[in-house]
Amino acid sequence: MRSLGYVADVPIEIALAACLLVAFGWRVLGGYPAPAGPLARLSRREAAFVASAAEALFPPGGAVPPSGLEAGVPAWCDRWLDALPPATRRLVRLLFVLVEHATLLFPAPGWDGWRRFSALDPERRGVVLERWRTSRFFLRRLVFTSLRAIVTQGYFADAAVLRALSLAPREITAPVHEADTLYPPVGRPKSEIRFRPERVAVRGPLDLPPAGVPLGPHGALHPDYRERAR
Amino acid sequence: MSGRVHVFAEYEREMREDADVVVVGSGPCGAVVAKELAEAGKRTVLLEEGPPFTPEDFALDGALSMARTMREAGLRATRGHVMPTMQAIALGGGSLVNSAICVRPPAFVFDEWATRFELAHTSRADLDPHFDAVEGFLGIEPTPDAVQGRRNLLFREGCEKLGISVEPIARNVRGCRGSGECFTGCRARAKQSMDISYVPAAIRAGAQVYTSVRAEHVLAEGRVATGVRARVVAPWTGRRGPALEITAKAVVLSAGCMATPLLLLASGVANRSGQVGRNLQFHPGVAVMGVFEERVDPQFGATQGMQSLHFLRDGYKLETLWAPPAVLAVRLPGAGLALKERLAEIPHAAIVDAIASCHHSLGQVRPRRRGSLDPVLHWRLHPDDLPVLAKALRTIVDVLFAAGARKLLPGVHGLPDELGPADAERLHRQRFRPSDFVMAANHAFCTTRMHGDPKQGVVDEWGRCHELDNLYVADTGVFPRCTSVNPMLTGMALAHRTAQALRDRL
Repeated sequence: MRSLGYVADVPIEIALAACLLVAFGWRVLGGYPAPAGPLARLSRREAAFVASAAEALFPPGGAVPPSGLEAGVPAWCDRWLDALPPATRRLVRLLFVLVEHATLLFPAPGWDGWRRFSALDPERRGVVLERWRTSRFFLRRLVFTSLRAIVTQGYFADAAVLRALSLAPREITAPVHEADTLYPPVGRPKSEIRFRPERVAVRGPLDLPPAGVPLGPHGALHPDYRERAR
Repeated sequence: MSGRVHVFAEYEREMREDADVVVVGSGPCGAVVAKELAEAGKRTVLLEEGPPFTPEDFALDGALSMARTMREAGLRATRGHVMPTMQAIALGGGSLVNSAICVRPPAFVFDEWATRFELAHTSRADLDPHFDAVEGFLGIEPTPDAVQGRRNLLFREGCEKLGISVEPIARNVRGCRGSGECFTGCRARAKQSMDISYVPAAIRAGAQVYTSVRAEHVLAEGRVATGVRARVVAPWTGRRGPALEITAKAVVLSAGCMATPLLLLASGVANRSGQVGRNLQFHPGVAVMGVFEERVDPQFGATQGMQSLHFLRDGYKLETLWAPPAVLAVRLPGAGLALKERLAEIPHAAIVDAIASCHHSLGQVRPRRRGSLDPVLHWRLHPDDLPVLAKALRTIVDVLFAAGARKLLPGVHGLPDELGPADAERLHRQRFRPSDFVMAANHAFCTTRMHGDPKQGVVDEWGRCHELDNLYVADTGVFPRCTSVNPMLTGMALAHRTAQALRDRL
């Protein structure tokens, strides 16, 4: 049996296998940066992947100023994952792992194109995603669509993005409805119902006019979407 | 009997109720049944797995809103041909998060039902009194121009230029201001979703409404349903709580086209025909975004304010569309700065979609595990239905260009990312494959279909299960075939008829 001789009395095959294992372990687990802030659901590796995907899909500059990172996509993704049922959360995680390591099967351009997705430079990440998007295989396109749906929804959750696109929700006031006296906020006891029956303005649909005053671009923004004073 | 709504925070121990009728599901159909029977003086219990939502519970963030209001966080999809499909989990069911479209199907739809499924009493004329009752209660009216917004009016202009009939959509809204937020819950309280219309009316008439309670088993002895066994589930987390058992003289299942068949299968009832869970149909939808020179401000205006029924006999219906921007942006092509360029065009965009009647494409709802109430949905687009979608796509393209769009983003694999007016002709030559379309599975039907022959259907024309004397189904699962138009109003009309039949029997 061949061995490494003077280095150690270990067969070369085993040494090579060990090296591959270490390299694979490093690829899967190693070298991920710490996330920017505390996260409830995303692991360090998942946060790095989401950040890299956000950076590739929504880079700085261009027609909509905030980048994916400035829009806080990883933090949003963490909140969103927290709101998912466990089985669905597992599927989303699988999606992240799949795209992160699919460069082994579908490498990016360049001699080191097999590096994991988040370790590629943003330009090559863009190329990788574009190949997923335009693949002739439906399942690859589906994976891309799913990933981009998640990142895009995180991007659009940012108030600055919506303001830049003139899509921020408007402030709306509604009359007190009979239903407002029946239901507490979700998960709360009935003692937290804010309205009493004497404040009811609307008991049924026919109490309301068919059309209200239309909302438009000049209406006041919803408070959560207003620009904060610096 | 004093009506009342029960919420999760007040459930502490196991409970028992006795009633004349227990209705499972508070969506458009179940809410109608509960209100009609309560007003008829019947002791009515309404069970709803989801919680009631107040305006402050509505998340403006589209994804978080779906995570809260939709089953499987809005990520449910079919297998076979993968298509997202959404079912709500909330008091009021889908009416809380749909765009309030109320359309009576034309007579030919019911004529086909009668011919193919041996239904002698379900013509349009038979159902018109029930349509009238629902429309009258909800104040359903066509969307006025004042709240259409430019996006909807552009569609009308495009149709009129091409000689395509077009009309404002009748909706169950009053006082709508065109916030375009139908899909995340109406903060203006203008949409007359069931939680603020039929359910309060049922409570006023004495109904007991248990929210955050999941029906798990239909109790039956021989040909008689005796009640429902249910379980408290925590809002959003689904954590299981105490049990609730309701004994009743009649049981009405209105849990929706996905959950009702699973409940029947888990209970081992009403499936001698083998049809429970079969025949699943959708209205697959395709949508195209048109970009105009003028500023459209598409977020303002009725979410879906205009429609064309011109091509119903060809198998599709056209309608305008708005949705949370993040959801719409998912369809835009490209990545990086090119994608940002396209996002910046959204204020100049209008979206038109088509819902298709894919009569050949039948799927199935099955339990994820034996006895499970979580579904696995199998569905595949039949090649014979592909031309309908292709034709619908071409019509949308023609309408948007006629309306003045300078370019379109079709979102169809095999087509360029952007189409200019000169490319419209190319579309007519294009050969499509089913997987080229990015579709959404709008509306679901037929999994407990009505049929005159007990061997071929689950319920009769009044929604009564062929095999049990007092077990009824009232949801879109009873449709024998898709309606070709948005199904909510038809489901409610059929539920109204079911309630009247049941009232007379109890």
